[in-house]
Amino acid sequence: MTTLSGPQLLGAARDRVEGPLKVAGRAPYPNDLSYPGMLHAVAVGSTIGAGRISGIDASAAESAPGVISVLTHLNAGPLRRAPVTPLGVSPPAPLQDDVIHHYGQHVAVVVAQTFEEATEAATLVHVSYTHEEAILDLDDPRAERRTNPWGRDAQRGDVAQGLAAADIVVDRTYLTRDNTNNPMGPLTTVARWEDGVLLINNSTQWATLEHTSVAAAFDLPLEAVNISAPYVGGGFGAGLRVWPHVVLTALASRTTGRPVKLVLTRPQMFTACGHRPKGKQRLLLGATSDGMLTAIDHEALTATAMDDDNFEPTATVSAAAYACPNASTRDQQARLNIPVPNSMRGPGAATGNYALECAVDELAVELGMDPLELRLRNDATTHPQLGLPWSSRAMRECLLHGAELFGWSRRTPEARSMRDGDMLVGYGLAAVGYPWFRARCAARATVRQDGTAYVCSAGTEIGNGAYTVFVQLSAELLGLDVERVTFGLGDSSMPAAPQTGGSGLTSSVGSAVHEACRRLVGDVLALVAEDPDSPLYGCSPEDVEVGEGGLRRRGDPTRWESYAGILGRGGLSELTATGESTPAKPQELGMAPAGAFGAKYVEVQVDPDLGRLRVARAVSVIDGGRILNEKMAESQIIGGTVGGIGMGLLEEAVSDAGTGRVANATLGDYIVPVNADVPDMQVAFVGVPDPANPIGTKGIGEIGLVGIAPAIANAVYHATGRRIRSLPITLDMLL
Amino acid sequence: MAFGVSSPTDQQVSQAEFTLRVNGEEYAVRVDTRATLLDVLRDRLGLTGTKKGCDQGACGACTVHVDGKRVLSCLTLAAQCQDRRVTTIEGVGDGASPHPLQSAFLQHDGFQCGYCTPGQIMSALALLNEGRAGSADEIREYMSGNICRCGAYQNIVSAIQQVAGDRGAAL
Repeated sequence: MTTLSGPQLLGAARDRVEGPLKVAGRAPYPNDLSYPGMLHAVAVGSTIGAGRISGIDASAAESAPGVISVLTHLNAGPLRRAPVTPLGVSPPAPLQDDVIHHYGQHVAVVVAQTFEEATEAATLVHVSYTHEEAILDLDDPRAERRTNPWGRDAQRGDVAQGLAAADIVVDRTYLTRDNTNNPMGPLTTVARWEDGVLLINNSTQWATLEHTSVAAAFDLPLEAVNISAPYVGGGFGAGLRVWPHVVLTALASRTTGRPVKLVLTRPQMFTACGHRPKGKQRLLLGATSDGMLTAIDHEALTATAMDDDNFEPTATVSAAAYACPNASTRDQQARLNIPVPNSMRGPGAATGNYALECAVDELAVELGMDPLELRLRNDATTHPQLGLPWSSRAMRECLLHGAELFGWSRRTPEARSMRDGDMLVGYGLAAVGYPWFRARCAARATVRQDGTAYVCSAGTEIGNGAYTVFVQLSAELLGLDVERVTFGLGDSSMPAAPQTGGSGLTSSVGSAVHEACRRLVGDVLALVAEDPDSPLYGCSPEDVEVGEGGLRRRGDPTRWESYAGILGRGGLSELTATGESTPAKPQELGMAPAGAFGAKYVEVQVDPDLGRLRVARAVSVIDGGRILNEKMAESQIIGGTVGGIGMGLLEEAVSDAGTGRVANATLGDYIVPVNADVPDMQVAFVGVPDPANPIGTKGIGEIGLVGIAPAIANAVYHATGRRIRSLPITLDMLL
Repeated sequence: MAFGVSSPTDQQVSQAEFTLRVNGEEYAVRVDTRATLLDVLRDRLGLTGTKKGCDQGACGACTVHVDGKRVLSCLTLAAQCQDRRVTTIEGVGDGASPHPLQSAFLQHDGFQCGYCTPGQIMSALALLNEGRAGSADEIREYMSGNICRCGAYQNIVSAIQQVAGDRGAAL
């Protein structure tokens, strides 16, 4: 890996602090947990796409060996629907009526002594239905359309005038398919009630939300619910909502009076915990003959479920992407009889950027201009929509450094002009500006008399490296060796944190940790500042800095005292401080807080006879602000790149006409990238620590994926001369 | 092995009683004959290091060794494993210190969420023993039965190459 910047940009590439547990198989994921007397629950899904339940015969299931209970809408009792979340409405409360909105909707839950018995009995629940015609197609005129669903449509200048003033206009439509998150860890809930308190171990990316939502569903006070998720087997968005199975497991535990574990089966992972919904986008770009954009018009239509408003702002990404005086972006949703969609790594951004960056490439072809040059000419040096300077933006460096690492100058412009042996070679590029996100967050920091520290916040580790980077950050802010710091995550009893999502966790939790540690240092100093025996006597907070496990006077390292010494003299075993941080609004900051920027360069090789298509190389150059741990950050980007290869070439959930049943709901039939699909990927970080938050980070959990699919599509065009305007691009399209 | 009587009329579930040998330990078990090796390891023996990813033989998360060869424990009935030698991730390394491959996964960051990791490591150990770690491409091919949705493949290959190289140097 290479970098353009100095050590202050890149944090130490430490190994994962929880890594030894994970390589030994000792990290406890939710489905690893068992409790005495625990029962196993298996959900039963509807086999129609729309209609009503006309009858349920559970008698065979109820009398099957080992079965303790069968829950249906006839006996579940009332449950409240959880309140609206920052990402939209909560999924409907389960088993509340006889209405079927989609194939696979939970219609019953079987609870038995063993997993085998519950699985067997689940096949014995006989459900009869009254069928209705399912609405499944985006263009179905019966589908309710929601316009501007998230209030994020953007408008500036006059697009019609901009198009009229253009020498070249491209007008293109792009299609994307249903993709599924499918983390390797099947979503699991283990619920138990102890002394009136509902204790849940869960696969979640948002323990704080899960806490309030479950409490609302069961009408319990917050102190009567606890959510624990110290380890989660991936998420990619699947853990961002409080799914019906979570509520059902808690209900099953309350009904039976015993702990209950429910693990979604892999096929259920396609219908019960969200997906990236299919969509259709139209892009109009106008430009003068010298490649200056005169208009951007982007409209997007994505699918949502009948009783949902999935957050998927897609066209929105075009509003701030390029310096163009005239722009209009408009999102719409169509309500269909499909499972509730959900955020999947780069929600909205991945699909919106795909259409935009393909259209930019098409414009470059029409202009006869290098697509890199076209992007450089239209670089948005200020935020085009807000009119404010960016908090930081190294888009240009991303593009230029990426071109150098990739060898873009070797590209010959004509399609089908490059070969490697018999293989057609194509080079493709996409630029990415990832939307900024940060949310209010709290953290708690404790130093102990033994010279160790414990810091915590209710964020979650899902493979993002959260434990590791927050240990490193806390150690730095307290002046301790990393070995002396432990970080706690994933428990709703910890200070409230936002989701591991929107690429916002590091900046949100990190800013709260910054504040908690600042307060803690102040509180420690207060113990000795008036003590004449202390080397820190008379110091104010501005006079001291942290280091070597304690505090010292700035400019005089001999005047130092350890935390252990200070606490010991004060007779304290430990000292704790809580901090909270809320992001300022752009107008208050006087700048537009920037998300990460990136440039994605991809080489594809295509067999001209067979259409066989492979990604041969990928280079990602990322401006992620300050990078807390180079190793974790590089893993985020290469992992995202793998996801992007899936989106670009492999992933499509295929639904049956008529019912919407996912016909390929297994990991053998829904194709995800495996080791042999993935080339060597190069990652570099550029830019500066971002001034919009106290720790300088931006957030890089999603930008690794975004831009890969359009870079592939553009490379496929360059290799073959075939412009494929839908994903995934498969070999049959190239024959 | 002893099997219980199975009769469709009284719906009694057929049970098997036998000894499982896992990581050098012997376990006397009586289990549902439908129980997979994976579920018995996890639910009965408490050896939860082996993971259930798909329960359909498509993802590799449940990979263990039976008589030294890698198998998918979700597609293997526990009752088939009498008198066979089962090794799981809990049997890798010597307790006090990790196996060099585990250290290499840590050093090369060959995982993120960690859920597929025990299966990846069990596959990689077998691959090394099979002599199929001769090149990066060979490793990619023979590790393609183990899905990593976090996308750590490149680092998994590096980790395996390091151990393969160290073994080669030691010969």
